Amino acid sequence: MTPRARENRWLVAPAVAFLLLMLGFPTVLNVIYSLSDVSFETLRSPRLDGLGNYGEVLSDGAFWASLSFSLRFGALTAVAEVLLGLFLAVFLAPLLRRHPWLLAVLTLPMMIAPAMMGLMYRLMLHEFVGPLPHYLFLWFGSSPAFLSPAWAFWTIAAIEVLQWTPFTLLLFHLAYASIPGEVREAARMDGARAFRLFRRIELPMLLPTVLVALLIRLIDGIRVFDNIWVLVGAGAGGSTTSLPIYIYTAFFRGGPLGPALAASVLFALAAFATLALALRLAGRRAP
Amino acid sequence: MTALRWIVLGLAALLMNLPVIATLATSLKPPAEIMGNPGLWVESPTLANYATVVTVSDRLDVWAYLGNSAAAATLGAALPLLLCLPLAFVAARRGYGRRLLLPLVVNLRALPLIIFAIPIYLMYQSAGLLDTRVGLGLVLAVVNLPLTALILLNAIADIPRELDEAAAMDGARTGRMIWRILVPALRPALATSFVFGFITAWNEFLFGLMLTTREAVPMTVGASFFFAGAGGGVQWGVAAAVIVVAMLPPVLLGLLMYRQIGQAMVAGAVKG
Repeated sequence: MTPRARENRWLVAPAVAFLLLMLGFPTVLNVIYSLSDVSFETLRSPRLDGLGNYGEVLSDGAFWASLSFSLRFGALTAVAEVLLGLFLAVFLAPLLRRHPWLLAVLTLPMMIAPAMMGLMYRLMLHEFVGPLPHYLFLWFGSSPAFLSPAWAFWTIAAIEVLQWTPFTLLLFHLAYASIPGEVREAARMDGARAFRLFRRIELPMLLPTVLVALLIRLIDGIRVFDNIWVLVGAGAGGSTTSLPIYIYTAFFRGGPLGPALAASVLFALAAFATLALALRLAGRRAP
Repeated sequence: MTALRWIVLGLAALLMNLPVIATLATSLKPPAEIMGNPGLWVESPTLANYATVVTVSDRLDVWAYLGNSAAAATLGAALPLLLCLPLAFVAARRGYGRRLLLPLVVNLRALPLIIFAIPIYLMYQSAGLLDTRVGLGLVLAVVNLPLTALILLNAIADIPRELDEAAAMDGARTGRMIWRILVPALRPALATSFVFGFITAWNEFLFGLMLTTREAVPMTVGASFFFAGAGGGVQWGVAAAVIVVAMLPPVLLGLLMYRQIGQAMVAGAVKG
């Protein structure tokens, strides 16, 4: 080995050691325990049990319900955030170009912890002290029960969209601003009107960004936990149980831990598969 | 048309920031007013709720939560810098680790962290790291690794090669060269990734909820305690005030550095 190759190894060694310790070892632990009959009392002496835990998870209706919740939630919020963010970035572009500080106001929600956002909506939506029901009663004479099983999904989705549209807005703002001026000028010389210009020229140039934004927001929507947990928990009858909430409650319920660990291994495999597929589809190699 | 744009902008900004406005308003209302006046207008503003928040009780200690968050978030933002700087250097300059290590680190961002949460909990239990600031900080460092690596990688690629090559010609050892040449040139990128990492770590909730119980409870989890009313229901004014306290550090940092942080987030999105 050349001295330089040895040096390279030394330079990445701390990061590799950290990853092995914090992610590698836990992953091995995860797989072993997921194949075992184990509880909090028998952590040091797990009994290998084959694929029983996986069978249990896969035949649990609540697991599939949480998977369906996460997928629906992720897809709906990702699409809504991308559409809204794209509209705002393009429509407000002249204002944002002249007054860049406006971006700070529009992206403020991103700086707030999703858990704090959820807690704020507990206040916002409270039937006695919440401003939203107050004004709805004042103006329309009635207000929906936002956190009831019938409404909870839409309420949480709206909260997620309102917090993360700033992210897609920012993404599209920077992509839109980087379209060369000559492209627009040339199209305008040809007599293209604003909407045609957008559809024929600008939208195709923004398309890669649209796909990236959809993917990121889909992933973040599927793994949603914080804001739902502080707002409604698992929900009445599990109506707001996302996949992470399913795993979390299965783990802390007490009793056998295997099913929770099996569910998290399944989640990990699904996440890896999705990621690999997305990277291939995008046809880009990671840096 | 411009007027319409301003209206849309105002509506969007209002709607997206409405919970913040409502929380600020409620935090300034005296308890008697909260029930009678749920609107956004405060009739007799007071700081009494904040006084209650900062008073330590046997159940709630906001100073401890703030201290825990500050300590864990500092570790969680600083450690990735130390780990990623040499990694980003060999990847950017020598193409080392680009095939496996770097994609692995960068794509961590896309994985749901709950899949590691349970085994880390079990590991911490045997290692005595449960409910400690160090334990929480180490996990937060994992969360911050991907974006730190990306920010530093992009920043190093922007520095002219001649700079470190000249130093290498002079016979400077690599470690010294990174410290003497690269670190000063990278100061803005290091600051951005530290601040961004600090905000991310401060705002984290799931690991704080799982890995701490009494001693190392971070601010986000501590704030949720104020919403579990002991017997008499939630004191909404106090609960609103504690949220304002909890979100102040990341929001101020974010407003101060919104441009750099926005670009960092987007760089992560496009390259990741």
